[in-house]
Amino acid sequence: MAIGSDSPGDFLLTTVDSVARWAQSSSVWPLTMGLACCAIEMMTATAPEYDIARLGSEVFRASPRQADLMIVSGRLAKKMAPVIKRLYDQMAEPKWVISMGACASSGGIFDNYAIVQGVDTVIPVDVYMPGCPPTPDGLLYAVNLIQQQIKQGGRGGILARA
Amino acid sequence: MPSSQTPPAGGTALDPTAVRPDIDDARILRVAPAELRATLERLKGEGFAMLLDVGAADYPGREPARFDVVYHLLRLDARATTIAGVGTPERVRVLCAVGEPDPVVPTVTDLWPSADWAEREIYDLYGVRFDGHPDLRRIQMPDDWEGYPLRKDYPLRGPARERTPRPSFALKSNVAAGTPASGKTAAALQRQIAQARGQNAVNVKTEDKNP
Repeated sequence: MAIGSDSPGDFLLTTVDSVARWAQSSSVWPLTMGLACCAIEMMTATAPEYDIARLGSEVFRASPRQADLMIVSGRLAKKMAPVIKRLYDQMAEPKWVISMGACASSGGIFDNYAIVQGVDTVIPVDVYMPGCPPTPDGLLYAVNLIQQQIKQGGRGGILARA
Repeated sequence: MPSSQTPPAGGTALDPTAVRPDIDDARILRVAPAELRATLERLKGEGFAMLLDVGAADYPGREPARFDVVYHLLRLDARATTIAGVGTPERVRVLCAVGEPDPVVPTVTDLWPSADWAEREIYDLYGVRFDGHPDLRRIQMPDDWEGYPLRKDYPLRGPARERTPRPSFALKSNVAAGTPASGKTAAALQRQIAQARGQNAVNVKTEDKNP
């Protein structure tokens, strides 16, 4: 962006892309979806003490059609895996995914028959968060990383991997 | 005093009613599958209006019936004849042993509707069928699941990954499998594990003295 201060009327020069990225990265709306105890930390991140609204992510959308970000917050049971895949498919492009915590990223302590050993076997993941559970600060940082990806031109979802 | 909850040693069968004392307010009845239905009907007639839960247990190796199906009944007796008896709950636990190859007991969903999902859960996780159940489908595992996960012989990590090595780098099973990628010998890793756990400290010391 460039601000023209020489001319009598101030004006702003920019490109559509950078404005779109700025807007997009400032309103990353997560999907209202909690799987396990990590979801408690996710809720805490929305509460006043951490206040994810400061990053523009306060609007958790109950419909995948309106969400930009899927936070896989907890262990994913094999019975739930098709549901997650469907929700991800229903989200409009561009879309991003945070794999929150050890269980979502690798199965964590649940090395057993019932739990998917890493959600990246079901949907593509943009940011992996360590922790069991991660702190709300960690989630803020992960959203921050997503925003950096968006600002650097990442489009998320399938297009980002093409 | 040893705990009565100690699991049985490998292969041996343990009858829980033999080691656990009766709970103060619960009678424990053991019945055969053929008498189960009549017993439960009689108990319901005696005022046990609540079926709190239906459970199951697997005692692998117990002959001829490895499974126990357990019914937990409660009576809040409105017909009590003493003041102390009013509102005093009375419990009965009915155990019924069923065996392979086709473990089946009659359903009690017509007596207590609360048995519906409990019986489905047992069918799902133990493979015990409930004859006459109106909708005997899996309830927790996916519909196309194979096997019954709460049976003791079901592999914890599932049949597909049963034989793949666990990701942990210093597990005894990995050590026994041979020299790990780190290049450390099995003996060195075993010593490291023992030290980390604080167990067998004496054995480790003697090993060091006499290599």
